[in-house]
Amino acid sequence: MKHLLLRLEPVIWLLFGGGIMVGTMLMTAWIAVVGLGAPMGLVPADALAFERAHALGSSLIGRIVLAALIALPLWKGAHHTRHVFIDMGGADRDALVAPVLYLLAIAGTVLAIAAVVRL
Amino acid sequence: MSEKKTFRITRFDPDRDEAPRTETYEIPVDPDWKVLDALNFIKDEIDGSLSHRWSCRMAVCGSCGMMVDGKPTLTCKKALSEYGSEISVEPLANFPVVRDLVVELDGFMEKFESVKPWIIRAKERAVEEGTHRQSQAELEEFKQFSMCINCMLCYSACPVVANEPEFIGPAAIALGHRYNLDSRDEGAHERNEIFRGEGSVFSCSYANECSEVCPKSVDPAAAVNQAKINAVIDWATGFVVTRGKE
Ligand code: FES
Repeated sequence: MKHLLLRLEPVIWLLFGGGIMVGTMLMTAWIAVVGLGAPMGLVPADALAFERAHALGSSLIGRIVLAALIALPLWKGAHHTRHVFIDMGGADRDALVAPVLYLLAIAGTVLAIAAVVRL
Repeated sequence: MSEKKTFRITRFDPDRDEAPRTETYEIPVDPDWKVLDALNFIKDEIDGSLSHRWSCRMAVCGSCGMMVDGKPTLTCKKALSEYGSEISVEPLANFPVVRDLVVELDGFMEKFESVKPWIIRAKERAVEEGTHRQSQAELEEFKQFSMCINCMLCYSACPVVANEPEFIGPAAIALGHRYNLDSRDEGAHERNEIFRGEGSVFSCSYANECSEVCPKSVDPAAAVNQAKINAVIDWATGFVVTRGKE
């Protein structure tokens, strides 16, 4: 398992890096607009009307962005949690903990893709 | 030399001590002294058995690194006036101790060697063909990462080294990366494989402590994280490009 994890590290790290980028850059703007701007009335009410948002989200680019926005931060979370665990003295159990975390990220990714496809 | 300071120094004699102990010395200090001057004063005037490493006294040889007040410090560079009246001096953290403030370097040296810190050429150039030329801009690409003096402060500061002793570590990765950036070198793929292997660059969790303590502003954290990207790109291109004999 240790060997497999090492071999997969470039992919995992890439997804993790993507998660950081998406999480810090896109997600912040997303929350600012949808979570704060809309309820505070700073965004015109009809800008986020269901039909409009649905049309945007179900376009090809919209689907890709949505899938990335949901899935990548899961990888970031899984990888970060793994490293926090190692840093707290859990290096011995890494071969057990890491697969569980990454399987959760894989499950989330599959669900995200399924949800985006059915949009 | 009217001011006095108290030094709490970790002592360890493997022939006599079961575990490290602390000894306290109160000495008169000169306002211009560096931390190393105080240690040398103690050794010369009070206790000749105190062991510590130093050589150049000008932040070049990298041998005088120690934990001063719990922080990895180059003792010949750090002014004593920056500390209070009580100062603790311990051997560098994350290294086995040989004696007093002297640590074992073997593991560190092996890591250094493991990244192949020399210019690798696919085919050696014949002497008649002349020297490899390098422009100023090409030199600038890696110059910063070549300023390392191997003082090992970064290994002492790195929380990943503390937890995962096999981690190649900041200085060695910065050194390997320095050669990967060198326009004369052709060994990047070899080193990237090493970077992805046991003790991989990806173990770094970007605490940035290495760059914080680096006395030469090498910024090893930048090198490690650039090395991660390059190691991934090298891994990905491996699927599209067939490489020749390595
Ligand atoms: S004595 Fe050479 S670096 Fe401090």
